[in-house]
Amino acid sequence: ESHIQYERVGADVTMKCGSMDWDAAVTWTVNGTDIDESHLNGSYLILKNVDLTQSGQYSCYEGSSWHLKYQTYLRVGTPPKEPVLMCRSNNYPKGFYCSWHLPTPTYIPNSFNISVIHGTREMVCEKDVFPKNRCHIRYLQLFSTVKYKVTLTVTNALGKSSTTLTFDEFTIVKPDPPESVVAKPVPNNPRRLEVSWQNPSSWPDPESFPLKFFLRYRPLILDQWQHVELSDGTSHTITDAYAGKEYIIQVAAKDNDIGTWSDWSVAVHATPWTEEPKHLTTEAQLTETTSASTSSFMPPPTTKICDKGAVVGSGAVAVCWTAGLVLAAYGVLFI
Amino acid sequence: MAAADSSSATLRRCDLCSRGIRLAGKMRSDVVDLLDTYAEQQGLDASASVAAVEGVPVAAVEHWDEQTGTQRLLENLAAYRAFRALLAQMLEEQQEQLGEADAALSRALAAVLLQVSAFAYHLEELLRLESRGPPSEEGARPPQPPHLGLFERKLRGLGVLRELAQWAIRSARDLRQLAKPSLGSSSAPSLAESP
Repeated sequence: ESHIQYERVGADVTMKCGSMDWDAAVTWTVNGTDIDESHLNGSYLILKNVDLTQSGQYSCYEGSSWHLKYQTYLRVGTPPKEPVLMCRSNNYPKGFYCSWHLPTPTYIPNSFNISVIHGTREMVCEKDVFPKNRCHIRYLQLFSTVKYKVTLTVTNALGKSSTTLTFDEFTIVKPDPPESVVAKPVPNNPRRLEVSWQNPSSWPDPESFPLKFFLRYRPLILDQWQHVELSDGTSHTITDAYAGKEYIIQVAAKDNDIGTWSDWSVAVHATPWTEEPKHLTTEAQLTETTSASTSSFMPPPTTKICDKGAVVGSGAVAVCWTAGLVLAAYGVLFI
Repeated sequence: MAAADSSSATLRRCDLCSRGIRLAGKMRSDVVDLLDTYAEQQGLDASASVAAVEGVPVAAVEHWDEQTGTQRLLENLAAYRAFRALLAQMLEEQQEQLGEADAALSRALAAVLLQVSAFAYHLEELLRLESRGPPSEEGARPPQPPHLGLFERKLRGLGVLRELAQWAIRSARDLRQLAKPSLGSSSAPSLAESP
């Protein structure tokens, strides 16, 4: 007869060889390997201070006949610690979901039970097939001031633990990030980028429950973000981009009235339009050759060389000086 | 001629809905601020659970997405008329209190009362546009103030403001539903099923 036996890490375990007497001659094996007699007390197997590596199949055989007298599967683990529970509505006003996990593994099977109470009403949380640690609830009422109380209990053979979340309908509303973010240069506009995006597909009714958006952008070479909040529409034109610089852009969404901001969308990169380099003349060749040896903060030919608005950081001064020297050298040539 | 009238009515409806949405948004913002001030002033926890208060219209609704436009307007109007009376009572009670902080609270209450009255009027206009007209208030008695102790009155006030904040959000949502071009007053919208 086979059993499963659960024991805590650090426990002392005594296994009896079924109905065999204490003084019977027996042999114990674990996963088919003989166990040294030093672990035996008569026919009892003694395991002190068990650890995870001692999980396995333990078998006891009668000494002479080698008849299997007892078998058990020992699983060493821990009782569950307080689970981490999170509830969120990313599809308001349809419903919300709760998901959970254990902060540390128990190494033995756990079962989860979740209860959702709204006022006096117990609501059904339908478990998702995947992932297994999630369930969803349909809102039966909207605009309620009565709080929701969600209790999650985790149970295993060694103990149980629970946690409770209490929240308002509105506070857990957090859309998914905007989708399909696209950023494009604007032809003939070296300081503009056109950004567009779509409402998250999980948001069921953006017409009745409109989202507002937060856009952030920065050139890759800088750490500081620019931010723009947009109360409607799913596009925006950045008009103060640094010419020729590659930008990173992200968008977040929030219900117009309630809840919190989504996570940031996937980042997109774009560089504002720059003019195609013209056919090189002597003057242009001189300018090009000299400029190639300065920093990368080079404005496009349409921009004044010393226009500090078109270049970034300490490179601006270097470019101005260099251009001045070039012009001076050119001037000397013609004296 | 009929088409022109209909088009004009639609435009007027759209305009009233847009303005109503903005009014509701402003009202909500002011009510939330008032809620915090009121709770602090009365020594209450703004987030404490308050049992349903008799006579206070509850914003919570089932099958919200199945309501017709007219239902939405009528329920909103009934609610804001009730809030108008409740806030007037609260204001009267508050004005009996002495002190600068109490005066500031009274002013904030009065400001919200004004917005509630304006919004009720706005809803009446929308109902007139539905060719239905708002229900009469004649003969409707204002709710009798229950005999409550001081603490119970404070809790009741908290409940009133909290429900009003919910109503302001609900009203904005209701007006957005009304503003949808495909809907007449008697048809019920339905939310698209999520994939």
